[in-house]
Amino acid sequence: MNQPDVLIVGLSHRTASLDVREAVAFADDQIDDVNRQLRALDGVDEAAVVCTCNRVEVVSSTREGPQVAERIAAFLRRADSGPGADLAPHLYQYWGRDAVRHLFRVASSLDSMVVGEPQILGQLKQFYTRAAGVGTTGAVLHRWFHKAFSVAKRVRTETGIAGRAVSVSSAAVELATDIFDHLAGKTAMLIGTGKMGALAARHLMANGVGNLIATNRTFERAVDVAREFKATPVPFEQFPKYLPMADIVIGSAAAGEFVLGEAQVQEALRERKGRPMFCIDLSVPRSFDPRINALDNVYLYDMDDLSKVAADNLGERAREAEKAETIVVEEVESFYRWLGHLEVVPTIVALRDKVEAIRRGELQKTLNQLKDLGPRERELLDVMTTAIVNKILHAPIARLKQQDRRAETFYLDAARRLFDLEEPDES
Amino acid sequence: MELLFFALSLGLYLVAAAAFIGHITTGRVLAHRVALVALTAAFALDTFGVVLRLSSVGLGALGTFHDQLSLLAWLIVGLYLGLQWRAPLAVLGALVTPLAFLLTLSSYIVFSGADRLPAELDTAWLPAHVAPAFLGYAIFALASCVSLVYLLQERQLKAKRRGRFRLPSLETLDDLNYRCVAWGFALFTIGIVTGSLLAKAAWGTFWSWEPVQVLSVLAWLLYAGLLQARSIGWRGRRAATLTLVGFALLVVSLISLNIGLPHGRSFG
Repeated sequence: MNQPDVLIVGLSHRTASLDVREAVAFADDQIDDVNRQLRALDGVDEAAVVCTCNRVEVVSSTREGPQVAERIAAFLRRADSGPGADLAPHLYQYWGRDAVRHLFRVASSLDSMVVGEPQILGQLKQFYTRAAGVGTTGAVLHRWFHKAFSVAKRVRTETGIAGRAVSVSSAAVELATDIFDHLAGKTAMLIGTGKMGALAARHLMANGVGNLIATNRTFERAVDVAREFKATPVPFEQFPKYLPMADIVIGSAAAGEFVLGEAQVQEALRERKGRPMFCIDLSVPRSFDPRINALDNVYLYDMDDLSKVAADNLGERAREAEKAETIVVEEVESFYRWLGHLEVVPTIVALRDKVEAIRRGELQKTLNQLKDLGPRERELLDVMTTAIVNKILHAPIARLKQQDRRAETFYLDAARRLFDLEEPDES
Repeated sequence: MELLFFALSLGLYLVAAAAFIGHITTGRVLAHRVALVALTAAFALDTFGVVLRLSSVGLGALGTFHDQLSLLAWLIVGLYLGLQWRAPLAVLGALVTPLAFLLTLSSYIVFSGADRLPAELDTAWLPAHVAPAFLGYAIFALASCVSLVYLLQERQLKAKRRGRFRLPSLETLDDLNYRCVAWGFALFTIGIVTGSLLAKAAWGTFWSWEPVQVLSVLAWLLYAGLLQARSIGWRGRRAATLTLVGFALLVVSLISLNIGLPHGRSFG
């Protein structure tokens, strides 16, 4: 009986351009059929297809050799509707440990285009559920995918891989949450109508900022922005009056002079009774007086500052990704050991050995006490105990040898536990 | 027996402190768990120690410097563990735990063997004074740790430098500081009142210009001002700095009480 092994065949943004990926990708309503067809391929025990805009991969388990990978590749080629497109240079296949590691890396977003992006995990869960729904997965894929999900969770909680913002506007949001407990219920003021300012405002509102006040030298433009964001437009001359309401002030005006001065902010702070303010100057050249940052309880960040935060965070992500790789390696070993233990034969051998050792030990003890027995009696005792042991073991071993995958793992686990055979490490 | 307890809880504090620091620098969840388990174990051990001491020596045990320090460590850790349920701030643990370690270690160093108070102090006013006053001290100590974290976070934000690990938000820290100072102030006020009643009962006078009294009243005034000034916008960095100044006054007053200044009416 061959040992079950795991296999991934597919292509991703690392090996194929968008048009190739588009050509291979399956439509959402094809997925169930694709899973069934894959499972029906000769030698494929279990299969689940994963199809996102960045990758098309077939995750499978098999007890046969390389020819199975060929069959899956051929299946994907058939799915390739592009005229005469040759997939061979784009396809990769991973076996055994490499396959386990690959799925863990994908789940942990280490293989993503933007390392650390959070969507991929949800997508994997979705595709696994689809395959499980049509019954093309079994014990190996069940265990493998769930392990991948838990590895991803571990990576997420133990490393900062997804923790830091890597764009200017998300850096602004991150800094805002370093100052404010939560952004819900906070008010932001947008001065000017520049693109960067609008983007930052959108990010902040998506993260909970409730109210937006918009102002601009040309009032009509402020009204336009206000309509877009469901904000309150105020005339430019009057914005200092509204300034104390603003927890966050975003500058996005092409001014050439400072539209927000130190004195204005100081006045606003007095009315705010020292509650902190976060000023984000996204104009180039700057439109907020840099001296504002020297005031107590005000934090002023300009375009350069934010870019630097984003760049630092990107470096931090790369460092965290290394930590994540170490976690993945650990987990690959633990999963692969479990996979190795799936093999029935070693369990049966261990079971036989153990019982045989008990039989011999006990027989010897008895024989030591019955010193006056002749060789024939001794042999009869030996034969009898062997027969008892074999009869007892017959049914369990037959059950263990059954081909049904799901039942097999269950009974293997049970046998190991009941007879206290060496426990596989399943952490 | 007591020595074994000391060594054991010191060891646990050390483990917890290392694990907290490990957690905030590497982000490993396991380290955080280890820290909390070690700290909880140390707390349980100290609880046992405090109960043992009270039952063997009686309330008079609250008077020696040695006991005061271990009581403080016990209270601070207890408060932190309580706070942990509502707001898990690991970075605070990384400050509180070494503090508890130092307090426990110094309580061992100052242990003089003389464990009893002068008999005139052993009145019903003693626990009524020591309990609220020390709970107040412990809360102020916690507020000081919160203030330190605030100052660190505020400095990073102003200087536009980011640390390797993320600190709690300024708003969270400022709010926590305010709550701590308010509660600490209430208890400390009770402590001062019962303290003067204790002085009256023991020596016949409410007030005698002792350093501990003067410094305590100064700290009390400072904290009262701090709570008031919040309504006119003194929060954040100023509040954090003043919290630390007030706590420094309290530390000096506690030391002056115990190293037996010339006045000679020391407890210890």
